[in-house]
Amino acid sequence: MSDGILIEGFSALSPLGFTPEENYRAVLDGRSALRLHKGEFGVRDPFVASLFDRVAVRQEALREGVSGYGFFDTLAIIAACKAVREAGIDPASDKVLFFLSTIKGAGCPLSESAKILREHFELKHPVTVVSNACISGLSALVVARRALLRRSDIEHIVVVGAEVQSRFIVTGFQSLKALSDEPCRPFDADRKGLNLGEAAAAVVLGRDTSGPGWRITGGAIRNDANHISGPSRTGEGSYNALKALMPLDPAPAFISVHGTATAYNDEMESIAIDRAGLSDVPVSALKGIFGHTMGAAGLLESVLSMKAAEDGIILPTAGFSTPGTSRPVNVSAALRRFEPSSKISFIKLLSGFGGVNAAAFFTFCK
Amino acid sequence: MENLINDLKLAIIDTLNLDGMTPEDIDDNAPLFGEGGLGLDSIDVLELIVLMEKKYGVKVINPIEGKHIFGSIATMAEYITQHRAK
Amino acid sequence: MDEKLTVRHWCRIASGLVIKDGEVVLHSGGENGVALLAAAYRHLGLNYPKFFKMDALSKAGFVAGEVLLSDEKDRFEPREDRAVVLFSSSGCEADDIHYRETITDGNYYPSPSLFVYTLPNVVTGELAIRNLYRGETSAYVLEKFDAKEIVRLVSEAFVDEKTKSVLAGWIDCPDDGSVDAMVFLAEEGEGEPLKPELLYKLFENK
Repeated sequence: MSDGILIEGFSALSPLGFTPEENYRAVLDGRSALRLHKGEFGVRDPFVASLFDRVAVRQEALREGVSGYGFFDTLAIIAACKAVREAGIDPASDKVLFFLSTIKGAGCPLSESAKILREHFELKHPVTVVSNACISGLSALVVARRALLRRSDIEHIVVVGAEVQSRFIVTGFQSLKALSDEPCRPFDADRKGLNLGEAAAAVVLGRDTSGPGWRITGGAIRNDANHISGPSRTGEGSYNALKALMPLDPAPAFISVHGTATAYNDEMESIAIDRAGLSDVPVSALKGIFGHTMGAAGLLESVLSMKAAEDGIILPTAGFSTPGTSRPVNVSAALRRFEPSSKISFIKLLSGFGGVNAAAFFTFCK
Repeated sequence: MENLINDLKLAIIDTLNLDGMTPEDIDDNAPLFGEGGLGLDSIDVLELIVLMEKKYGVKVINPIEGKHIFGSIATMAEYITQHRAK
Repeated sequence: MDEKLTVRHWCRIASGLVIKDGEVVLHSGGENGVALLAAAYRHLGLNYPKFFKMDALSKAGFVAGEVLLSDEKDRFEPREDRAVVLFSSSGCEADDIHYRETITDGNYYPSPSLFVYTLPNVVTGELAIRNLYRGETSAYVLEKFDAKEIVRLVSEAFVDEKTKSVLAGWIDCPDDGSVDAMVFLAEEGEGEPLKPELLYKLFENK
C-alpha cells in the first residue's frame, strides 16, 4: 500500500479501564459502565451515562506524573502520554505534530486546551483542534493521514481525542429528546435513543515503513447537505464516504458503525451500508458498552476494532437483539470469530451534527 | 381563547425568530409543519415543547403526542387550555 | 503546499464592512456583529428565513457564502467536488454563552435550538445545506489566526480525490459580539497563489 499510514501506537481510557487491553477485555466480558445518574452535574432529570470515577483518574494522572490541570485536559494529556510512550517518539521533536479531537473540551474555548497540550509536551508546532461534531475523532485521523502524505517536515502525528460530560452536554441532548432512559440498544427494534459517555484515546501515526502493522489506507468526510441535526433519510453522506474508500482491498472483516441507537441514525446507517453493497459485512456497534463518547468515539472505537480484528474477533453489539432497521444489516448481539489471514481490514464509520459523515479503512499486515 | 391564541402567536414568532412575521400572518388552523404552513422543523417542535412548559407550565413528555398538539396554533391553544398550570 | 492552488474570489466581513474581491458590498454605518450580518442579508435581498434561527457564526458563514457565490453559475446543483473548510479561534463560544443562560438554576429551560448551534462545525453544515455541497466539511479551532496552518490544511483537503474546490476561511465570532470573517474559494486555475502572505493581505481589508 503506497499511501498507507502506519499506526505506531495507541491508548484508550474509559470508565472500564485505562489501557486498550482493559477496555478490550471489558467488551469481551460484556461489562459496561452505563449507569443511571441522578442529580449529577446538577442536571434535573436523571440520565444514563458512562462516567469516569474522578478519583481513579486523578490517581492514574499521578502515576503518569500529570497534575495541575482540569479534568478534561488531564485526560487528554494522559491519553497522549501513553500513546507517545508506546510509539517510542519524542513529542517535543520538531518532526511531531499534534491534533486534538473534541467537541466541548473543557467547557471553555477549545483553543485553551490546544495551548495546554502544546505547553505540557513542549511541542514545537501549535495544536490544531478538529471539532467536527461526532465524527471529530475519525475526521482527525483522516486529516492527520493527509498531512503525513503531504508534509515532508513531519514524521509522526499524535491524534488525541477526549470528551468529558457536563450539565451543558447532558441537558442539551435531553432537550433534543435524544437520550435513552436505559442502556442504549444500537440497531435494535426497541432502541430509544443514545447514552452519553466519557473517554480519551490517542493514536500515533507515522509514515509507512512497509513493515507489519496497522495502517489507515483510506478515509473520507462527506456532508449530507440535508439538516443540521437530523441524518439524511437516504444516507447520502455516509454512503458517499463509504464509496470513497472503494475498492476495498482486502475485503473488510467488519464495519464498526456509529450505532448511536437513535431511531434515525441507525436507520440511516443501514441505508448507507446497503446502498454501498455492504449489507453482508458483519456490523459491530460499541455504544451499548461505552455510550456515545463524542470527540473520543472515533479513536476509542478504532483502537478496540484494531485489537479485536487482530484476534479474528468481531465485537459483540451490546443491547442488540431484534433487527430494527428497514434495510438488512448483518449485526449480531454476540461475539463472532473469523479466520484472520495475513491481511485483515475493517471500516470505521461515524456521523454527526452538521450533517457530517466519515469513513476510514484500516488494514493490517502480519 | 382568542387572547391565548394571539399570545401564543407572539411567543412563537419571538421564540422561533420568525423574522418579519406578525400574528395576523399566521392562520389559526394552518399546519405548523411542512408545506403550506409555517414550515417549522423538528428542532422547532422541541423548542415549542420548552415554550409550553416555560410560559404555561404545560409539560409534553411524549414527543409522539406532540405531533397532534403541534398540528396548528388552534390545537396548541386547546392543549394548553386543558393542561395549563400557569 | 500545493503550488497550483489559487484564490480568485474572496469575501471579507469585519468592522461595519462587507467586501467582495476588493469591492465594498456594504458599508454599514457603525453596525457590527449580528446587526451587520442582518443588514447584509437585507441588502442582498435574500429570502432564507432559517437565517434568523442561526447563531452568529452560522449567520456569518451564510452571508459570506452568499456574497462569495452570488454570481456563480449552476450554483444550486448538488455537488460532491467542493469542500467547506473553516477555521476560528473562538469556535462557537458566543452561542455557548447563550445556551448556558438557559440551564441556570433559576431559569432551567434547556433550549434545543441554541444547543444545536453549540458546535463549531454547524456553520459548515449550513453552507452545505444552502448550496447542496455533498463534499467534505471540516471545522478547526486554532489558538490564534495562523495563515500557514490554514493554507496547509486547505491544500491537504485536495488529497481527497473528489475535492476540486474548497470554500475555506476564517470566521471568528468571539463573545464580545463582533464578527471577523475572511472566506475564499481555493481552486486550481487563474488567480493569486494560495499562500500565507495572500491571506494576511486579504485580512488587511477592513
